[in-house]
Amino acid sequence: MSEIWKATIVNSFNRFLEKVLTFLPNLLAMITIFIIGFLVAWIIKIILVRFLKAIQFDKVSEQWGLTRLLIGGGITNSPTHLLGRFFYWVIVLITLILGINALEVAATQSLIAQFFNFLPHLFTALGILVVGYLIGVFLGQATLIAAVNSQMESAKIISGCVRWFIIILSLTMALYHLGIAEKVIVAAFSIIFGGIVLALAIAFGWGGRDLAKEFLEGLSKKRKGVGEGPDKISHI
Amino acid sequence: MNFDKSLQAQLGEIKEVGLLVGIPSYNNVRTIAHVVRAVMTGIAKYFSGLKAVIVNSDGGSTDGTQDEVRKVQIEDFKAVLISHPVNPIHKIITPYHGIPGKGSAFRTIFEIAKGLNAKACAVVDSDLRSITPEWIELLLRPIYEGGFDYVAPLYARHKFDGTITNSIVYPLTRALYGKRVRQPIGGDFGFSGELAKFYLTQDVWETDVARFGIDIWMTTLAIAEGFKVCQSYLGEKIHDAKDPGSDLGPMFTQVVSSVYGLMENYQSIWKEVRESQPISTFGFQYEVGLEPISINLERMIRNFRLGVKELMEIWRKVVQQETAHWLESIARVSDEAFSFPQDLWVRVIYDFAIAYHRGFLHREHLLKSMIPLYLGRVASFVKENMESSAGEVEKRIESLCQTFEHMKPYLIERWTEEMIHR
Repeated sequence: MSEIWKATIVNSFNRFLEKVLTFLPNLLAMITIFIIGFLVAWIIKIILVRFLKAIQFDKVSEQWGLTRLLIGGGITNSPTHLLGRFFYWVIVLITLILGINALEVAATQSLIAQFFNFLPHLFTALGILVVGYLIGVFLGQATLIAAVNSQMESAKIISGCVRWFIIILSLTMALYHLGIAEKVIVAAFSIIFGGIVLALAIAFGWGGRDLAKEFLEGLSKKRKGVGEGPDKISHI
Repeated sequence: MNFDKSLQAQLGEIKEVGLLVGIPSYNNVRTIAHVVRAVMTGIAKYFSGLKAVIVNSDGGSTDGTQDEVRKVQIEDFKAVLISHPVNPIHKIITPYHGIPGKGSAFRTIFEIAKGLNAKACAVVDSDLRSITPEWIELLLRPIYEGGFDYVAPLYARHKFDGTITNSIVYPLTRALYGKRVRQPIGGDFGFSGELAKFYLTQDVWETDVARFGIDIWMTTLAIAEGFKVCQSYLGEKIHDAKDPGSDLGPMFTQVVSSVYGLMENYQSIWKEVRESQPISTFGFQYEVGLEPISINLERMIRNFRLGVKELMEIWRKVVQQETAHWLESIARVSDEAFSFPQDLWVRVIYDFAIAYHRGFLHREHLLKSMIPLYLGRVASFVKENMESSAGEVEKRIESLCQTFEHMKPYLIERWTEEMIHR
């Protein structure tokens, strides 16, 4: 009895050892890939940034209007550093995938295959999100300044609405592109957007009757040329 | 620039002129006949022996402006106390091409001046009601006989008129380039044919220079490039009536963006300038009456306060911390006690210039966000000078100019700081 018990344990231990011995080189390979990958990512980032600085990429971006677009979106880092950082993280991502793949685990390999098929969609969705965010921030700021110059007391609310409308729209588009609950997303967006408009209409119509009256009277007076006339000074 | 065939034929016929007077126009049928008549009389009276041409560069008027220019003739020269000119005064009426705006109209005038090899040129606005023949002499003679290359106008204006000029463009241009050109964006100028040719070599015709920025661009280039600059006193300037507040936004951004843009081009020059010098001034100076004008101070201050409340987040990216605190503190006081000190104003102008240069913000947003600050400063200036005479107001503008000059090291220091960090 004890022989059988002993044999079972030894066999089990041997099988485990065998598996560990088969797995260990893969693990070492993964760690090696990680170390080399991170190192390569770091070196490439430094070389790329130096190269971009040498060719005055920031100046070219300024001429192309890329810098303004980024600044308009609230991103103050230079395009050179942004590009350097982007390539660093792309290489790190590839490294992580290669490393996990090196483990040769069936489940992760199928997951990685799926991930690679999904990657183009992910990049497109990310692109939509980034562009949507930049446009949202830019137009939000433009609206805020224009509203202040038109002396609208609710300038911040209007600009916030513009900004978030564009960001939510781009988020919806990105999720739709990824195929995540397409119908739910479209329905949710329609409900939320419709709800906001309805809420604003009710709030303005009910709660702000006096305000609406004042606003319309002001407009009418302005058209007729009474009330606060323009200043008679010539600015230039 | 390619001229159309009829214009080419006209230029071929005229060949060469001594004088050229350009009149840019767009729907100015009410006033242009008076302007053309004043120009023709001025040429006949003061330059009767010279061959001259009047160029109307039109932006596609639909009210018959061009026909009006064609029709104008001086039937009876004796009635204006002059003899019939020896040479006929030619007229060229042509549409301009490019971005709609005064700058594009001027470009066509420069091209024609070059084509006709004009020695002395002048440009006058087409909506002027106060132009007299003497303006033509005052703008052209310093060029034709005095050896100058550029004549800026000097007007007698209402003490509260020209607020962009008085609070930004004049003091800043004077502090930067060291020449006291009192009306750098006056609108009516004299310039030599050589300077016109130089302007044409510049690649600026797709920028704000093609619009409202042309005046400051012409003045700055003339000063910074070392051309001989003077100014002529023209008297009162009265425009055709229009709503002065209607186009403040584009006017403000185009003028200020041109000034700031030029600061980049000429940084090596203005950094070396330590103090300003007066320039030669021609003409007989006199003061004009001060009619009370309607200014809504309360609205200007309200706009400034709204800016402080809503735009401070943006301004903090531009101005220094203590400047932001200062702005907040002046926004808290009552309308009666409201004051926008000139030190603070100069700091704001310099900080925005640096932000424009560094690209902290989208440039159009940066300039448009400046408008509430500008209105705050104008309101304060009007309050301070409500009871002052024109002379006293001029003294205050002089004091502002001196503050700009005294604080110039602050601008240079921050500008240089930025260059090191780049």
